[in-house]
Amino acid sequence: MKLFPTSANLPFRVLLGSAAALGLLSCDPSNDPEPTETPVVTRSVFVVNEGNFRRANADISLFNKASSSVTSPTLFSTANGRALGDVAQSMAVQDSLGYIVVNNSNKLEVVSLAKFKSKATISNLQLPRYFVAVSSDKGYITETVAYGGAGQVSVVNLKTNQVTRTIAVGAQPERMTVSGNRLYVTNSGESSVTVINTTTDAIEGTVPVGDSPGSAVTDRNGNVWVLSGGKVVYNADYTAIDYTKTTKGSLSVIAPGQLTAQTRQVDSNTSSPGDLTINGPKDQLYYTYRGGVYTVGINEAQLPTTPLIRRSFYGLGVDPQDNTIYGGIGSFTAADKVIRYRSTGAALDSFTVGIGPSSFVFY
Amino acid sequence: MRFVSCLRNFPQFLGVALAATASFPAAAQLGLPAPDSIRTQNLPSVRVPGLRPDRFAVGSRRFTLDSLALTTYRTGTLADVLSARTALHLKNYGPGQLASITMRGTSARHTAVLWNGFNINLPSLGEADFALLTISGTTQVDIQPGPASATYGNGAVGGTLLLSSPPRWGAGWRGSVQTDYGSFGLRAGNLEASFSNQKLALRTSLLYRQAQNDFTYYEQAGTGRVRRRQQHAALQQASLSQDLILRLGQRGELTAAVWLTDADRQIQPGIGTNNTNAEERDQSRRLMAGYRHVSSRHEWAARVAWFEDIINYRDDVSGLSESRVRTTQAQAEHTWRFASNASLRVGGEAQHFAAQVDGYGTRPRTENRFSGFALLRYDPQPRLRLSLNTRQALLPGRQPPLTPTAGAEWVALQTPQQTISLKASASRSYRAPTLNERYWRPGGNPDLLPEHGLGYEGGVAHVLTLAPAHLRLQTELTGYRQLVDNWVQWTPGATYWSPRNLRQVRAQGLEASTQLGWQPGAYQLTARASYAFTHSEKTKGTAADSDPVGRQLPFTPLHTAAFSTDHLWRGWQLSTTLNFTGYRYTDASATSFLPSYLLLNATVGRTVAMGPTWKLLVLAQGYNLTNRSYQSYQNSAMPLRNGLLSLRVLWR
Repeated sequence: MKLFPTSANLPFRVLLGSAAALGLLSCDPSNDPEPTETPVVTRSVFVVNEGNFRRANADISLFNKASSSVTSPTLFSTANGRALGDVAQSMAVQDSLGYIVVNNSNKLEVVSLAKFKSKATISNLQLPRYFVAVSSDKGYITETVAYGGAGQVSVVNLKTNQVTRTIAVGAQPERMTVSGNRLYVTNSGESSVTVINTTTDAIEGTVPVGDSPGSAVTDRNGNVWVLSGGKVVYNADYTAIDYTKTTKGSLSVIAPGQLTAQTRQVDSNTSSPGDLTINGPKDQLYYTYRGGVYTVGINEAQLPTTPLIRRSFYGLGVDPQDNTIYGGIGSFTAADKVIRYRSTGAALDSFTVGIGPSSFVFY
Repeated sequence: MRFVSCLRNFPQFLGVALAATASFPAAAQLGLPAPDSIRTQNLPSVRVPGLRPDRFAVGSRRFTLDSLALTTYRTGTLADVLSARTALHLKNYGPGQLASITMRGTSARHTAVLWNGFNINLPSLGEADFALLTISGTTQVDIQPGPASATYGNGAVGGTLLLSSPPRWGAGWRGSVQTDYGSFGLRAGNLEASFSNQKLALRTSLLYRQAQNDFTYYEQAGTGRVRRRQQHAALQQASLSQDLILRLGQRGELTAAVWLTDADRQIQPGIGTNNTNAEERDQSRRLMAGYRHVSSRHEWAARVAWFEDIINYRDDVSGLSESRVRTTQAQAEHTWRFASNASLRVGGEAQHFAAQVDGYGTRPRTENRFSGFALLRYDPQPRLRLSLNTRQALLPGRQPPLTPTAGAEWVALQTPQQTISLKASASRSYRAPTLNERYWRPGGNPDLLPEHGLGYEGGVAHVLTLAPAHLRLQTELTGYRQLVDNWVQWTPGATYWSPRNLRQVRAQGLEASTQLGWQPGAYQLTARASYAFTHSEKTKGTAADSDPVGRQLPFTPLHTAAFSTDHLWRGWQLSTTLNFTGYRYTDASATSFLPSYLLLNATVGRTVAMGPTWKLLVLAQGYNLTNRSYQSYQNSAMPLRNGLLSLRVLWR
């Protein structure tokens, strides 16, 4: 769930963080030829701690960038006097609200970001995974429903916090991204991306991509980048991965309005790339692969062969303000650590959060 | 290994036993001296008893839950009785749901559960679900905390539970039938019948129970506590056990036993978690037969057993997952009493596992394990008892080390009123990787090393007998320490979780227990108090082990205590149990914890004679009388105050 906060809400933060600059802009636009280059300012990092399955110990940890410290390790339960729920899958931000998808509690918690008080709970979802808002009025949630069958996307009215309709998509829909008036849904149980028109909620089509797409971001040009993990095939007795049949992961790019993708494969099928993330200016991609973090520019012809960071992470985040990289260690047994790296890949510091830090929301 | 001598139930045989062995096994296992006077009678058949395996467990703490302690739980499970009456901690996922034990700071896989000498831990999981072990299947539970792999084999690292049904010879026909009516739709029935003369002992026990478990519990909500009703926690359970012991002449004894258990449980969802309508069907079929031949100096025994353990699980999200493991095993041993004060037992064990488990893939998995052992008991002086035991296991792939045990007990003081015994033992132990750890796909690790432990314990036992006051007070204090190496933990990998030999764990602690028996006249009191301090932490780990060292292991309470009383007076009975469970961390970094809780249960009963051979017992049981809202396992609701009414008709 790294992506949606950065991708979906960046415009809002740009507005917030540089109101003065925009004000100037409006007076004399010619003074600033590249308004999109205005720096993003983030102060807080919400760390989503997935928690242990069935134990309902998921929570959000709040990291304060100014003091470089965790100001609340259990932000939700402290603010609300109750547990967040079972398995926090992801979190996204729209306006001044946070949307936390609690997978095994089948709900979406809506919180005010100021005090993190629960504002609404959207219940009776079916194994929800990710949320993305396209406006102050409308959001979408991917739901697994059941393994082995088709998943769905629920459309949420953000004013009433009600599900208004559901749209059948492919198997195990995961992360989504928005480009223009289109929503791109990765169908991780298949090899496709479902494109939904956000005005009509009609499916415009499906785009074939690599096997098992799980994450997607939109770049500064409106191109949609989809990262597929590759299909992992086991040997006949399921004791080991059969690398003669396992497919390589791949990075696809879909031009706005197109229902085709250009796909590049990673060099090895021994590891599944995942956690596609984009930086603040939306021109540099990051992902996890082969026990490390890799980065590639949107205009680079070749996928990188050497990692930026040689460490395996359960969760990956990139601060849109300065490209500081956040890596979450997922032991699932102890209070886990998040390690911070400079944009160069040099380790910066670390801090302790909850169980299984799986994603980061910069605000 | 449970070829129980008749000593426990027939003190009149003791004279014979003493003549044959010049020792006193029953007393030895209690760490007590022989009573001053032994009734010797003219018996219709003079028999030489066999040696119980715990005769070789000198220097280790042992305690027993006998049929008297078990009788109020006749329609319950071992989880119920152990939670209420001992300081052992069981992690309980809800009433009737999975109950897993921790003994001496180790995990459930480190407790060996033996039924008639055979390990009945589920081979796939390597542990027992104590909610499936019905009390009606057994009449005696012996508990030996601490490592004892030499005597009890695989998994006897944190401790061992021995389930048995020692016969009462010459008791004739007896029977009882009980029906229960309790809170949350609990209905249960039990039928027990037994027959014994001096040649044959038979016992049949049938149990059925069901519960809706739609109890209310409190959930913490933003505005305060919200009362909720538990969904999807109903269960049905049945058990049939049949024991047969046939004496063949003066020296031979044939034993056969069957224990079938069947449980159909809805899996109780965690508080606020997705109810996926998970259900689990657990069926275990256990058959064993043995023959024992005893002479004055030699004893031969051979036993075979066949178990089938079925676990079928399904839920709406993942569908059906089936598991069936068949275990065939044989044990043979020879005991040589080569001197009046010394005996040696040598033997071997072979186990064959055949697993058809969805999680292991389509093809069946088989595994053979063997072990050989030698147990020596030597009493150089009447007041000094020594044992030296060892076992070598042969496992597929990697071998565990030789696991010896040395133990000593010395009666330091012996007067008519008081006895003080000192005891000490040192032991190595091992645990073979479970079938899941080896074969689960993906992730199963066939290269796992067996875990092994090295432990010590020492203690003192005091017995005060005040015959004029009809009072007996037994007190025991034990300290222990054990290092368990190659401790296995499942850890997340790049694509899937896998078990690895990650760390060393050190468990150390103290156990104190005292039991008072007082029978001034018609009134009879038994009171027991026990306390355990358990300090268990990781001491070192491999690079792949991210858990911190020096923190109390999760779900392992530092403090547990139990206090129980049983009062009998002219057909009336009153029992109380008070159990304290200290806080338990829920993560390896010792950050979050479950709060401690105190549970009070009480039973009032009245037995009325209905005729010369018929009696009626009415029992009213109250659980969690203080209405405590608590969780045994994280996020699993437990019932508030609840009750049970039982009616038992006893014939003879």
